[in-house]
Amino acid sequence: MKNNKQKGLNILMNFLLIVYAVFALFPLIWMLLISFKSDTEVFTTTFIFHPTLANYQEVLLRSDYIRYIRDSVIVAGGAVLVSILVGVPAAYALARYNFPRKEELAFQILSYKFAPEILVVLPLFMIYQKMGLYDSYVGLIWVYQLISLPLLIWVVRGYFEDISVEIEYAAQVDGYSWYQIFFKMLVPLIKPGLVSSALLAFIFAWNCFTFPLILSSNKVYPVTVAIMKYLGTDSAHYGQLAVASTVSAIPAMVFALCIQKHLVRGLSFGAVKG
Amino acid sequence: MARIQLENIKKAFGKVQALDGITLDVKDKEFFVLFGPAGAGKTTILNCIAGIMMPEEGVVKFDGEIMNLVDSAHRNVAMVFENYALYPQMTVYDNMASALRSKLYKTDEAEIKKKIQWAAKIMKMENLLERLPSQLSNGQKQRVAMGRALVRNPNVFLMDEPLAHLDAKLRNSMRTELKEMQANLGSTCIYVTHDFMEAMALGDHIAIIKEGKIVQIGTGDEIYYMPCNEFTAQLMGDPEINIIDAEISGSGNALAASFGINGSTVTYELPMDSGVYAKIRDRQLKRADIGIRPQHVKYSFEPAEGYFKATVYSYESIGNKSVIVSDLGDVRHSQLRMIAPNGLRVEPDSDIYIRLEIDH
Repeated sequence: MKNNKQKGLNILMNFLLIVYAVFALFPLIWMLLISFKSDTEVFTTTFIFHPTLANYQEVLLRSDYIRYIRDSVIVAGGAVLVSILVGVPAAYALARYNFPRKEELAFQILSYKFAPEILVVLPLFMIYQKMGLYDSYVGLIWVYQLISLPLLIWVVRGYFEDISVEIEYAAQVDGYSWYQIFFKMLVPLIKPGLVSSALLAFIFAWNCFTFPLILSSNKVYPVTVAIMKYLGTDSAHYGQLAVASTVSAIPAMVFALCIQKHLVRGLSFGAVKG
Repeated sequence: MARIQLENIKKAFGKVQALDGITLDVKDKEFFVLFGPAGAGKTTILNCIAGIMMPEEGVVKFDGEIMNLVDSAHRNVAMVFENYALYPQMTVYDNMASALRSKLYKTDEAEIKKKIQWAAKIMKMENLLERLPSQLSNGQKQRVAMGRALVRNPNVFLMDEPLAHLDAKLRNSMRTELKEMQANLGSTCIYVTHDFMEAMALGDHIAIIKEGKIVQIGTGDEIYYMPCNEFTAQLMGDPEINIIDAEISGSGNALAASFGINGSTVTYELPMDSGVYAKIRDRQLKRADIGIRPQHVKYSFEPAEGYFKATVYSYESIGNKSVIVSDLGDVRHSQLRMIAPNGLRVEPDSDIYIRLEIDH
């Protein structure tokens, strides 16, 4: 009796999960289907059509798509690198040292994430034009710090706070200098948090649309903005658009799958807790 | 190995004065115990010696050399932390080897292995060497922390309650082991504890610390038999010493102390040959608090000559003996503790007859 009840519950749970999975995955599947259709079939067929690779050829071989991807990698990767270089020491300072207005400063850093991008991007546009940062790698990497830095600092700070300060003392007494302690003792302990927050920051930066749309034009062309190119003014190449979107989603998906376990654990557990 | 001197160390955390003028002289090869209640500043003293904290005032000297500006890596001290402070990402073996692998105290791997096996044997943890700290119990972690200090050859061992989390049996055996080890290694050792048995058993000298100040320094016997004040007397000894209000009466050479007990007065003559007697006489004191250790309180369950009556408050076993706590009625220190053998049938609230051996 009890077994049957449990079984029924299981079936119901699985059914609901399947419904949700179809709901969540359908847009992606739809995009994938369109990417194999020719422009004439996009609106006239659903599941039965003549699959073609023409869209892929057009996008990957006959346009600058690879360049756009490269720009995205440079900008998102650079942003995460800068975030790590700046954010890890900042997180350490916020976790270990007491200084006036510490919590206010930490909150200020977090508050960068509160502002809607579209709100800050217009004044930034003016500033960037004046400073010559408009349409440059440095400019985009800089503005991406609004996205990646708060995330990294707050996650890594929690990790540093979980490491008891006596561990540092013990290492001092053991004859290690501060830098040795930092790299030999502390970095291994914050690694799960650092890796997961850095990858999450990379994905956020990769997916960012508003900032590159307004703050860059010809020289730097991240893929999120580039996808729009396939929506021409006179004709919309939905097939090519789907290809561009599909390919640009691949890195984020691969990353997310690789670190899936790490991601949940890294963001929710402390370093020292067993 | 070195002589450790502290001169007038002061350290404050915000508004709290953690150390208030600590002056210590720990001789070379001495086993020195810092003893005091929680929050007295014992750990802060160790941190100042290790160079983890900077005192705001005062001087730390190793062998006469001022160490205030030397960082803790270069002081060559080995420290056992109260919360173990093991490196969670390293195995027990690597934890113990960490000091010997640092640039400053570089030792070759074969030597490290020998030392670690020696320390692991003493600590009875040869089977734990490949584990991670998260796979250890608290007692095991504590032993690893001890082992990590023991493999070194430092100026001084600083031990912050290193036996607190061990089980009673292991604690006793480690206590003996520790004393012998320290004698063999010929090392200076500063040891923090709040267990008076440990303090008495291990310490060549004991310093009693209270609220950042030193109350008394002396050998175990000095402190036990000649405590300088009530605080020290109450800290040393288990069960705790009895303190009784007494009125001093009599004149000339025959002084007597009277205690009010259950409304009636009990009088004892003070022994004339003790130093305390002379002090009381010289100052012509009229009142005094007299401390008497529980083992000097005699009791009987039958009325007897020279015994006064009280009621039993509780009877509890503390292992090889028991403690009777009796109620003296409506006076300031109304509870009197005394030592009794195990296995008595004593009912609370029954009558008990007590004599104080004030002339022991």
